Amino acid sequence: MPWTDEELVARSIGGDADSFNELVLRWERPIYALAYRTIGREEDARDVCQETFLRAFRALPGFRGQAKFSSWLYRIALNLCRDWVRRERRTPVVQPPEDIDLIELAAAAEPSESIEDLVARKDLSRLVERAMALLPEEQRTAIVLKEYHGLTFQEISELVGCPLSTVKTRLYQGLTVLRRELAKNHKAQL
Amino acid sequence: MTDSYCGYDGNREDALIACLYDDGAETPERAAFDAHLATCGRCRDELASLRGVRAQLARWSPPEPAFARQLSNASPSPIRLSKSSDRAQSATSWRRAPAWAQVAAALLFLGVSAAIANFDVRYDANGLRVRTGWMQPEATPAASAAAPAARPASAAAAAPWQADLAALERQIRSELRDVRTTAAAAAQRPTASDADLLRRVRALVDDSERRQQGELALRLAEALRDISAQRQADLVKIDRTLGVVQNNLGVEVMKDRQRLNLLYRASQRQ
Repeated sequence: MPWTDEELVARSIGGDADSFNELVLRWERPIYALAYRTIGREEDARDVCQETFLRAFRALPGFRGQAKFSSWLYRIALNLCRDWVRRERRTPVVQPPEDIDLIELAAAAEPSESIEDLVARKDLSRLVERAMALLPEEQRTAIVLKEYHGLTFQEISELVGCPLSTVKTRLYQGLTVLRRELAKNHKAQL
Repeated sequence: MTDSYCGYDGNREDALIACLYDDGAETPERAAFDAHLATCGRCRDELASLRGVRAQLARWSPPEPAFARQLSNASPSPIRLSKSSDRAQSATSWRRAPAWAQVAAALLFLGVSAAIANFDVRYDANGLRVRTGWMQPEATPAASAAAPAARPASAAAAAPWQADLAALERQIRSELRDVRTTAAAAAQRPTASDADLLRRVRALVDDSERRQQGELALRLAEALRDISAQRQADLVKIDRTLGVVQNNLGVEVMKDRQRLNLLYRASQRQ
């Protein structure tokens, strides 16, 4: 039976580096995805992800289990993303990943998917990215946490430090903007 | 037809979001909103369109991360990039180096390789000669003629295995000469296998060109779509900015009119 996060944390605090490695393997993708969707740059998202685990490792002895380990990690990652946005003083700009190789992509595509379908799928994904980049940071964070990480309203409220009704309002406003932008892009493509 | 009027008396936004994400809360507010939904077309439509947005959001996946991390007890830092990741990173940074630096590095590498391999290039009356390896330079005809004469004198004093060694050396040299001659002859006349090879290379080049053309067309299509999207976004921004400017201008004009009216009224009274 696999260890729970809390058990792995306890073992890591006891000096078992493999346990922390297991935690990294378990959470690096969600944290990277959170960072990427928040700041929109692949390389910086990787840096934020690595820095998140470094900070978590350093602060692990102080982790008393008041919150879930995942919530604690999310908080560290979100703080780092916020620092990044402030430091860069710019709106997150979503960029296509480096070195896109359509031939390689085609190899990774579903067997029934043509290269045109693949490009269309990527286009749609990019449209969503662009629309998300237009949102204010708070609305984007709320949507990312709810939509892609499945956090409850209460968890988001605790993570970002605002009342529950504010979380819902941010979600509503963000989704409304996205609806408008996506509809606009859809019309523009027709 | 959607009703434009919604008579829900609670917090409509909260209720819509709670319903959209179906938080499972069995509160009186939720029950009231569910009942309201049955009668309000506007709320139903909005809920449906927000569900559509969620469906589109589900298609956004971040690019695959290129990291594979390892934890090492010996390492002072808990997270260390693996070798493959290091390689990927160094390859990326190499690609980012300016062209002049890449050329300089390549020349340096060639120079060092040539030095290590004892690379010898000569151009004289016999033509261009390139030789590598740790062998002594090939003796000139005069020197090679003198060498056998000198050898017998010293051979008596030398060990008996030296004669065998000399014979072996002569044999290797003659074999090497044969190989060179054969290679030169083969290089001069194209054979059937060369034609085959040429055909295959041509086919490969054609195939590669076709692939590149396809890739270029796809990239162009992508770029055009990007440009179009950017143009749309810019137009929207310009539109918004113009709207703001017009609003500000309208306010200023209104204020000016009010001032003029006041002045006019004041002058009328006088």
